[in-house]
Amino acid sequence: MKRGEQPQSPCLTDLQPDKLSCLPGHVIDQILSHLSIREAVRTSVLSSKWRYKWSTLPNLVFDNQCLPISSQDHSIIKNKLVRIIDHVLLLHSGAINKFKLSHRDLIGVIDIDRWTLYLTRRSIKELVLEIWKGHRYKIPSCLFTCQSLIHLELFNCWLKPPSTFIGFRNLKSLDLQHVTMDQDVFENLISNCPLLERLTLMNFDGLTHLNIDAPNLQFFDIGGKFEDVTFENTFHLAVVSIGLYLNLENEKNRWQGSSSNLLKFFVHLPHVRRLEVQSYFLKYLAVGVVPLKLPRPCVDLTYLSIRINFNDSKEISAALCLFRSSPNLQELEVLARTEEQQSTLGIQAYSREDEYWNCPVVQLQYVRMDGISGIKPELNFISFLLLYSPVLERMTVKPASSNGGSELMKELLRFRRASGLAEIIYLDP
Amino acid sequence: MSEAAMAVVKPEMKSYIWVQTVDGSLQQVEEEVAMFCPMICQERLQTGMGSSKNYAISLPQRVNPAIFGLILDYCRFHQAPGRSNKERKTFDEKFIRMDTKKLCELTSAADSLQLKPLVDLTSRALARIIEGKTPEEIREAFHLPDDLTEEEKLEPLRNMTDDPRIRLLNRLYARKRKELKERQKLKNVVVEEERVDDRSVDDLLSFINSVDGDTKGTKTSKNKKKNRRRKDHIKDPSSINTNENFNKGLNALPPLCHNGVANNVSEASTSNHLRMQNLATVSFSSKHEFVDGGDDDDLDPAMKEELDREVEDFARRLNSDWPERMQEILSLGQERRLVPISVNGNCSTQIYTGLDRR
Repeated sequence: MKRGEQPQSPCLTDLQPDKLSCLPGHVIDQILSHLSIREAVRTSVLSSKWRYKWSTLPNLVFDNQCLPISSQDHSIIKNKLVRIIDHVLLLHSGAINKFKLSHRDLIGVIDIDRWTLYLTRRSIKELVLEIWKGHRYKIPSCLFTCQSLIHLELFNCWLKPPSTFIGFRNLKSLDLQHVTMDQDVFENLISNCPLLERLTLMNFDGLTHLNIDAPNLQFFDIGGKFEDVTFENTFHLAVVSIGLYLNLENEKNRWQGSSSNLLKFFVHLPHVRRLEVQSYFLKYLAVGVVPLKLPRPCVDLTYLSIRINFNDSKEISAALCLFRSSPNLQELEVLARTEEQQSTLGIQAYSREDEYWNCPVVQLQYVRMDGISGIKPELNFISFLLLYSPVLERMTVKPASSNGGSELMKELLRFRRASGLAEIIYLDP
Repeated sequence: MSEAAMAVVKPEMKSYIWVQTVDGSLQQVEEEVAMFCPMICQERLQTGMGSSKNYAISLPQRVNPAIFGLILDYCRFHQAPGRSNKERKTFDEKFIRMDTKKLCELTSAADSLQLKPLVDLTSRALARIIEGKTPEEIREAFHLPDDLTEEEKLEPLRNMTDDPRIRLLNRLYARKRKELKERQKLKNVVVEEERVDDRSVDDLLSFINSVDGDTKGTKTSKNKKKNRRRKDHIKDPSSINTNENFNKGLNALPPLCHNGVANNVSEASTSNHLRMQNLATVSFSSKHEFVDGGDDDDLDPAMKEELDREVEDFARRLNSDWPERMQEILSLGQERRLVPISVNGNCSTQIYTGLDRR
């Protein structure tokens, strides 16, 4: 019972058999895909069989490797690159799965529009467009009609879809960095991509309120300046990383007495597994009346990373609230916001020690502390962690500077530890 | 009693299945190792084959016994649980060290058994071999036949590597093409006039005269003559004495023509049948023509002059070993595959004649 197979024609030349050319097309594609586009196309001069083997490459990547020379003269780069891409696209046969354009010296040129249109017609699945120089490149409207897209990655682009834009039906992964788009464009985009699972958004303009309505979202990573972030229907969200690059210090007055951001944030995140609270986001979360504990514990949370200002008692309260609501937390990373810790304007300088009472972190195994200056709140925090983590295995402490290093070490030595296995590792700054 | 019971659970008691390679030989292999190959696994589960010698699982044609042994080694290592990633990586790196022929066979066999991780590993290894090598080195490594004909090799090459030699070569061809196109235009004009019979002789003469004035005169016609000779030669390799051919052609012409341009017209008539061919090949090869050759127009004059000089230099270098090549080509002329004579310099002889300005 033999399997039906393509008969392999004997490849014999002179004395030595040529085994490489006989390999099936998809295997040759795989081999060539591990080479740069330049090397892959070069195989066309090897022999008559190899003339067009490269033309079925499913993934086309055009980056600095496809031009051996680099020049500051943009017109030279542009001419060569445009010519190369035009020729490759024209001679290519078969399906194009992925197209990536990421040449460091290329500014947004109008030829990109033409290529985008061509790729849209060829049912491209993954598109990565990185414009490293020049202004935000305006994405042509033809891209917004491309329903075959599964992954879209844009860097330094301006998104302005036409009014007829109905979303990307098949899009699962979206990565936008250094982009400009309007509020409603963003919301329209997110809500009309029903299969969206991964969203990365870094450094954006034109957006201030992030309303994320994505029922299939699992991975969410943002960093930028915004006023608020709310989730809706995001019950599958497992990995969240949020960095707020805007210090709310000056607008603190506006927020007094408002409802707790912390509560609002976690309402729609019942299954979060990894959470990173970066830059000033903890400050944002600490706004309003900080609860002692969340109404619903984050039972799936195993990894937490926070950037915290130890001089701000509200932030410490917010952190503790998180600890109390995460019974299964195993790994913790605490980064001190060193620039703020020098100043203590009007904020309660020392946190109350009784606050730490009744805050078990039973499952905590690994802790990493970074940017420690040795001020009292920090020491209280560390001492609390050591005292209340019975299964702690390792704590790593890295000071912010070498000043007062030995003082810090002395304090660390003194602290009592609940776990017999705990190692405290002091790293050099 | 307990001894027997122990025997059943002894770790050495593995189950074996029977497989048959394409050469007919049968062998027994450990079931759990062989099942690591999706194709074997599927066969076993769907059809239940492999439990006995008569019902052995037939392996695909591309799997020979030696290679199958290698594959089993791979499977045996990787199917064992509890191996760290580092261990696996080290094993893979050692495993992949073999000559290219075996590597290709292994890739082929792994692909037919649908063993994706091994195909991945081997294709990466093959890519590493190809990477960074010149075409000759790659052909050497994989025993690829160097069977692109001279003509194909001389086609404007895709200058993906930005090789300066290729660039010069392409420019050379482009220039030749341009020159020949210009001459072609003149030829066409003259030929068309010939066809139209009802034009008065006076008109024709004056027209021919004015054409003559525009051209570069005798120099051009001299080149053309040489072209014709070579072209005739290629068409009819048996007649080596081309001079006679040419003269014959001249004598056969109607004595309509003005002396000075006798060459032009005669060439035009003899080239009639070749013209269509030329046009066809011009359009054919322009498909492959890379803009590299045609971008001279974008450059400023200073750069252009420099490039012209480069091209001249290169042409001269080419010319220096042409006499030997010519002999070669003359003797091989019959064996060579006759490619439609194209004006863009695909034919090596074309270059020679066009450049012979000495």
